[in-house]
Amino acid sequence: MLTREEILGKVRNIIVNHFDIEAEKVTENLNIKADLDADSISIMEFVLELEDEFGTEISDEDAEKIETVGAAVDYITNNL
Amino acid sequence: MKIAVDAMGGDFAPKAIIEGVMLAKQEFPTIEFQLYGNEEAIKPYLTDDTHIKLIHTDEKIESDDEPVKAIRRKKQASMVLAAKAVKNGEADAMFSAGNTGALLAAGLFIVGRIPQIERPGLMTTMPVFGNKSAGFDFIDMGANADNKPEHLLDFAILASYYAEHVRGVKKPRVALLNNGSEASKGSDLTKKTYALLEQEPGLNFIGNLEARDLLTGAADVVVTDGFTGNAVLKATEGTALAITSLLKESILNSGLKGKLGAVLLKDSLKSMKNELDYSSHGGAVLFGLKAPVVKTHGSTGPEAVQATIRQIHKMLEQHVVSDLVAYYHEKSQLESID
Repeated sequence: MLTREEILGKVRNIIVNHFDIEAEKVTENLNIKADLDADSISIMEFVLELEDEFGTEISDEDAEKIETVGAAVDYITNNL
Repeated sequence: MKIAVDAMGGDFAPKAIIEGVMLAKQEFPTIEFQLYGNEEAIKPYLTDDTHIKLIHTDEKIESDDEPVKAIRRKKQASMVLAAKAVKNGEADAMFSAGNTGALLAAGLFIVGRIPQIERPGLMTTMPVFGNKSAGFDFIDMGANADNKPEHLLDFAILASYYAEHVRGVKKPRVALLNNGSEASKGSDLTKKTYALLEQEPGLNFIGNLEARDLLTGAADVVVTDGFTGNAVLKATEGTALAITSLLKESILNSGLKGKLGAVLLKDSLKSMKNELDYSSHGGAVLFGLKAPVVKTHGSTGPEAVQATIRQIHKMLEQHVVSDLVAYYHEKSQLESID
């Protein structure tokens, strides 16, 4: 079972690679849409990368609620 | 060479798709075709099953399905399975005549982009009047609603590469669709794109092109954003259809003299119709992905399927996608040094 810290590390890696941002800037409060200027395609790609990385399925309704990095980590932690 | 085929997409699927594959098999006997779809519906048209892998599935994406939801929920749909085969490296390219939006979503979210290309564009080869063998590559026909100047630069690089290596055009002339020919004309997007295209060393950029000159052969590649591209494409199709029906109506209402005239002009009218038909150039490529994903029209017949497979074969034979991956990798390395 992954710890919350390990999940955060993996989520951070995905964001660094996907949005081309420095790792230090990826905090739990980072808002994916507003701070990373992500459009709907970019957000969908991010959600699919989360699904592939953690082998879980995120419904469209749940995906809409994932606004920050912390929310993504919480979702993965509670649904693994 | 392995091509994943969505056998259930299109108005006349699987009949037209499988008949087209059978025609293509005669032309390219070594290609392995992976057919995704209903086995029972496919088999009657399968006249030769050598180099054919039939993967049965009952599920398919309908023409009115909401694209992203469909590919996320219908995980066993023929289109989704074909895209997954490409993603997993089991196939080199994908063909479909199904729901365009769903294919764009499958290409983008399952096959995936070339990392440095932020947004893939939908490209097709359009006819040039007066020269049946010529054409120009038009990108983006509507894969995107909003584009940035950098996206249009990518479109220009991709389509220029295609024109040169797939259609054999030397130093393709690249133009930007705009509302005037001067560099200062247009929207913020076209002005910024103009500056980027002008600075790109590998492109033979010839400047702006107005929509009325599109079909004259003034450029080999025409670049625009997805919203404008889609509107222009539909306006062009609509105009052609309106002229054809107007012509028909005028002949029918013109009495014996007009009908006699039409009989005398039959061959010329037929040749005009052939010139308008650009399906021989193949289908529309969702360009910028990790592998060729090509869409042909939903109401397509076997010959157009064959032409699209010929186009995919050429793209694979010329290593179009792998060369572009290498090009972008090198470009990003150079940019990181700068």
